Amino acid sequence: MPPELPSFLARFPAGSVVPQTGAGAPVDQETWVVRREVLLDLCRELHASRETRFDLLLEIFGMDYPEREQRFEAVYHLYSIPNGRRLRLKVPLAASDPTLPSVIPVWKAADWFEREAFDMFGLVFDGHPNLRRILTHEAFQGHALRKDYDAAKRWILTEDKIWQPRLEAPERGDSMFERMTINLGPSHPATHGTFRIVALVDGEEIVASEIEIGYLHRCMEKMSETHTWQQVIPYTDRLNYCSSFINNVGYCRSVEQLLGIEVPPRAVWARTILSEFSRIMDHVVANGSTLVDCGALTNFWYFYQCREEIYGLLESLCGARLTVSACRIGGLLADLPPDFVERSRRLLETIPPLISDVETLIDKNRIFLDRAVGVAAINGEEAVNWGYTGPCLRASGVGLDARKAHPYDLYDTVEWEVPVLRGGDVYDRYRLRMLEIRQSLSIIRQLLDRGVPEGPFVIDDPHVALPPKDACYNQMESMIYHFKLIMDGIQVPPGENYGFVEGANGELGFYCVSDGSGKPYRVRVRPPCFPIFSSFPTLIRGHGVSDVVATLGGLNVIAGELER
Amino acid sequence: MEVQGESWLTTKLDAFADWAQKNSFWPLPFGTACCAIEFMSTVSSHYDMARFGYEVVRFSPRQSDLMIVAGTITDKMAPVLKKIYDQMPDPKWVVSMGACACSGGFYRAYHVMQGIDEIIPVDVYVPGCPPSPEGLMYGILQVKEKVDRDRRALRRSKKNRKPKHAA
Amino acid sequence: MTVDPKALRLPGVQVHPTTLEPRRMTLAERLYLPLLAGMMVTIRHFFLNIFRFKKKVTIEYPEERRAYSHRYRGHHILTTRPDGSPRCVACFLCATNCPADCIHIEAGESPDVNIEKYPVVYEIDMLRCVFCGYCVDACPEEAIIMSNNHDMAFYSREQSIVGKADLMKPFTISPDRLGYRPYYPEEDARHAEMRRQAFDLVAAARAKPPARDAAAS
Repeated sequence: MPPELPSFLARFPAGSVVPQTGAGAPVDQETWVVRREVLLDLCRELHASRETRFDLLLEIFGMDYPEREQRFEAVYHLYSIPNGRRLRLKVPLAASDPTLPSVIPVWKAADWFEREAFDMFGLVFDGHPNLRRILTHEAFQGHALRKDYDAAKRWILTEDKIWQPRLEAPERGDSMFERMTINLGPSHPATHGTFRIVALVDGEEIVASEIEIGYLHRCMEKMSETHTWQQVIPYTDRLNYCSSFINNVGYCRSVEQLLGIEVPPRAVWARTILSEFSRIMDHVVANGSTLVDCGALTNFWYFYQCREEIYGLLESLCGARLTVSACRIGGLLADLPPDFVERSRRLLETIPPLISDVETLIDKNRIFLDRAVGVAAINGEEAVNWGYTGPCLRASGVGLDARKAHPYDLYDTVEWEVPVLRGGDVYDRYRLRMLEIRQSLSIIRQLLDRGVPEGPFVIDDPHVALPPKDACYNQMESMIYHFKLIMDGIQVPPGENYGFVEGANGELGFYCVSDGSGKPYRVRVRPPCFPIFSSFPTLIRGHGVSDVVATLGGLNVIAGELER
Repeated sequence: MEVQGESWLTTKLDAFADWAQKNSFWPLPFGTACCAIEFMSTVSSHYDMARFGYEVVRFSPRQSDLMIVAGTITDKMAPVLKKIYDQMPDPKWVVSMGACACSGGFYRAYHVMQGIDEIIPVDVYVPGCPPSPEGLMYGILQVKEKVDRDRRALRRSKKNRKPKHAA
Repeated sequence: MTVDPKALRLPGVQVHPTTLEPRRMTLAERLYLPLLAGMMVTIRHFFLNIFRFKKKVTIEYPEERRAYSHRYRGHHILTTRPDGSPRCVACFLCATNCPADCIHIEAGESPDVNIEKYPVVYEIDMLRCVFCGYCVDACPEEAIIMSNNHDMAFYSREQSIVGKADLMKPFTISPDRLGYRPYYPEEDARHAEMRRQAFDLVAAARAKPPARDAAAS
């Protein structure tokens, strides 16, 4: 049953907002087709009305359907934290005039998403204050994700074309200092990944700043359109490379929902455990790099020791340490190694002492407290408006966690809680990650106690998963399925699906569209750190340059995911 | 002892400088992506690159002589990479770590440089996506050998060029 | 730790907090006292390490190696038949399934009547390869598997295109150096038995080493 439509829709002209129902409509979530004239008003209502209260803008992106009359489509994913409800808005646009109003007045998170849609599809957002390319470089021509753009067509950037920002901020009467523009990055020891931060400083204080990203835009979304569904998995590894297993799970879940298949319990069990281990790895890197940037190198070595131990477990399953590619659509790539439980239990013993060591060193250490408490603080309301999800949002006092709000895999069968802190600053982000590591360990312990579920590790469906090698060598039928799956890929029925998991730094969504051929029509990734990082200039305003460095690590901006 | 050309002292000094250099590179990690995480593993306690004398990781190109390009280099990053390479003092070596830096890897795409050797010379390519820490260390040890070999060849060619009975 | 019990469960959060409650320092913290506890941690680690009370974590790499997983995705191996020819039948499945497009095969007609084709050229561009193991998954003949050898480095891009001879080098085919492959010895006795009967890869390779014509990489 579709949820009731809010009453304010009656005020909009007939035909301007059409909820999609019936055959052909997306089944994963509520979808409305909206005319661009009413978009901004509708968004205002959706955001403010008590009935709907869509306070979180998850993402905005473009779609390109060259054969349609209205070729482009802008898609909005909204989420209501109080109601736990999702909504998709689609705004069809003609190729001759792809303009639509900007929704920045409603959600600040729209800023970068709109720039990205402009960059990738050429959609023009009226009223956007700074509509220029974001991911591709200055000499780039054309719009890369349009269907008629050749995936391998490159443009060469020369040094004279590199963007030079002109930062301006109102003069203050009492300042005694000369203003100076400082450039951090794109190659700078404190930018974990590759960003360029240009800051205008007044003495020590940052009065304005701008961020340039796109230095690691690897065209993952375009690449996935040229590969089969199964081949996209290695690309997802390299999104958030600190916790690649969670990306695998997110993508596979989305495709599995599109296919309408059920993953065997053994695989679900292993996926949950390994996702939690990956979350620990990610938090460890985020905290480690925050601390390194504040000058506390020792912790990094302790943290990396836990990482190495977890690498060992992943390697025993899939043979790679970092970019695991360990999931397959419908399950896992191989059966769990026989010593999986034993190894995991050993990890549960080795990780906590290392975490405690760091807590002893840092938690009450005034040197760190002085650097972190109250720095780059953001309150819950602002954070939601900026599109925060994950640990950064929970550190600001909003307890949104997709694992709790929309339980998937085995998260609703174990006892755990969502830690929430109210400081919203660098310290609380650090602290929250430490609390989450404890929760993750507890989830893993409970699942291990339950024992490995028996059964296959991958779905027994020759249309989806490769048949076992025995069968492939000995039975003609399996051999044919094997050939067909590899030559043509998985035949995903036409449709669209937004699948999400709680990634290590927020809600990681994969919006998959299939046109029924063996390749994805579009795979869109909802990168959790993208909206978080877009708020960076407001976070650091009024702080010193050294605080920039301390803040960056805590936001856990992973370039591979940010720019895909 | 001969005074002209390469005297005993300068050749021995050269050899000493080579020996010192190859055993104490100051690497500049140009880390952009996944490979940078494995680079961190390489310098952390389990693998500990310091055992070879490559302990001083320098983020300033002016103080380093071995550039480890770890991660995808996009067209947007290319001018930056070139600039940083140019800023490094001679003699310098470049290790290209991982599939993306070596050849673009599986990103045959509109925004990814198909190998950093499009713009800067590379001494050693380390395959892998990302290479394991052992792989990276193996690659860096190859650079060490290369330093040895190249310098010896250079010296030999210099010696040969000198006429024996010059006035 | 300030956990708001209402904020834990959804949908329980009705209002987003607009105020911040940053952590406040205690008197002891103001006096830098907890630093002593931190120093104890580092001192403990120092002594534990220096007197070897706990296992040293550092692996002395070139001399010593850690135990690699039996599924390690390293350098590829082309397996051989008992007569030393490659098992590959040039079906191109690995090249099709490769996301990086790094496998180049040229097929030729096999002299053996029972086998239709064989690869005249089989090259892997090691610098393109992302070691995802998809070629192993795709192979219907168990002709390509992976080793746990990942000590690779090349001086030039030409050198990195590894041909048939290098992929079939017998030194890589020792049982403890095998990596990602369809069956694992520890996994299932039945599988292992069946495999032994079908072909014993190690014995075959040892019995007749294939011609070595390429220089070591």
